[in-house]
Amino acid sequence: MSAARVAVLQFPGVNCEAESVRALARAGLDGEVFRWTRRPDELRDYAAYVLPGGFSYQDRVRAGALAAKDPLLEALAGEAERGKPVLGICNGAQVLVEAGLVPGGGGVDLALARNRMTARGGYFARWIVVRIEASSCVFTRTLEPGTTLPLPVAHGEGRFTSREGGRVLALARAGQAPLRYATTRGTLARGFPENPNGSEAAVAAVCNARGNVLAMMPHPERALDVAALARTVGGVWGERRARAAESARAGGNGDGAAGPGLAVFLGLRRHLEEA
Amino acid sequence: MARMRAAARRVQAWIELRSEDPEATSALAVAVARLVTARGLESLRRFRVFELAGALPARATIEDLLHRSTQFYNPHKERCTLRLRIEDLPPLAKGESAVLVWDRGGERRPAAERWWLHETGRKIEVREGVAWAPRFAGGSDPADAIRELAVVRDRRHGLLCNPHAQESRIAFGEVPLPWIVAERASSPAAEGGEE
Repeated sequence: MSAARVAVLQFPGVNCEAESVRALARAGLDGEVFRWTRRPDELRDYAAYVLPGGFSYQDRVRAGALAAKDPLLEALAGEAERGKPVLGICNGAQVLVEAGLVPGGGGVDLALARNRMTARGGYFARWIVVRIEASSCVFTRTLEPGTTLPLPVAHGEGRFTSREGGRVLALARAGQAPLRYATTRGTLARGFPENPNGSEAAVAAVCNARGNVLAMMPHPERALDVAALARTVGGVWGERRARAAESARAGGNGDGAAGPGLAVFLGLRRHLEEA
Repeated sequence: MARMRAAARRVQAWIELRSEDPEATSALAVAVARLVTARGLESLRRFRVFELAGALPARATIEDLLHRSTQFYNPHKERCTLRLRIEDLPPLAKGESAVLVWDRGGERRPAAERWWLHETGRKIEVREGVAWAPRFAGGSDPADAIRELAVVRDRRHGLLCNPHAQESRIAFGEVPLPWIVAERASSPAAEGGEE
């Protein structure tokens, strides 16, 4: 059986398309860069979609705001309506939020606002920990609720918020926040830097009610190998990284051991196999 | 550090690129092509707007201070228009309205405030927003069209402000001063010309 085709949408300024294709290949999927110059109706030919990170249209007006108006997003919304999976990572998440694909319902219901951090402002890059929450999300389906994953974040606008107070928390309670920032012990992050952007209810990702569209701020495609983990990562994943490094030094292939980010893409593959 | 005479007041600085603004160009192209109610949009300009509040010196000194610090603008690439009184006109062309957008809770500029304190010995408050200046073709109702352009509702409606994280104000006539922190009922413009 041939691997399912996944379109990796690239708008001008998107710069994580190559590693997203590589992540899909690592999960046994056939990723292909789909540039903004192609016809929207060609999206029909793909089983799933990834909107990678970067700075679409240089973040002009607002991060994700201009790409959200592209006809490709209108076509993508139609494919999502048919149940096809859509994953937005970082800038891709900002595009999905600005386009109203998450949390869904037709209108723009959230914002990914500028980071709110203690004693600093602007762009912030760091390895953080996310906790898997119970949800219908197809991308986290291979992971037990309560599982913690170290993943990198790198953004200036990653704070999930809404003008309706309590909206983000309500989404989390409804199972539409499959990833939340946490401590290494698995308790919800209470402040900076565990919650790296001040996101309400420590939400790191939001999906639609059906679970097939996910907007996540951390970068799973940058955490495919345990050898890629920062030395600051502790716990089980830190031990795995240390073992892999030791194996590599001894001439083994420890460097190729699966990292925490691969689970997101494996979840997609499992879903497409069963769909 | 030079001490200078100062009076408590607020001023507004409108900063505009001397060259064509690529951000405004992109916003105009996307709005005209994609938004239901922006077909008649003829032009769109963008300004960064600073509001300074506190014990401020005379106009010439304020202009010099703004000119000297990259906290505010780069005089090689941008020009600055200062408004000290409501009668001082902002740099809007005939037919242009103004849509002010700022990040809710993120409008203060602490680094600029620290620089000002270092240079003058005086504490002031500095806030920043973005003013968009749309001009619609005659015949359409610009008020409704500008309202539709300003606030995002969905993929086909609104562009300049995501109301879940940002605030916006529209001035169809006189532009209030101050504007980012509106003082309700203190300015006739706030009642008549602003939403």
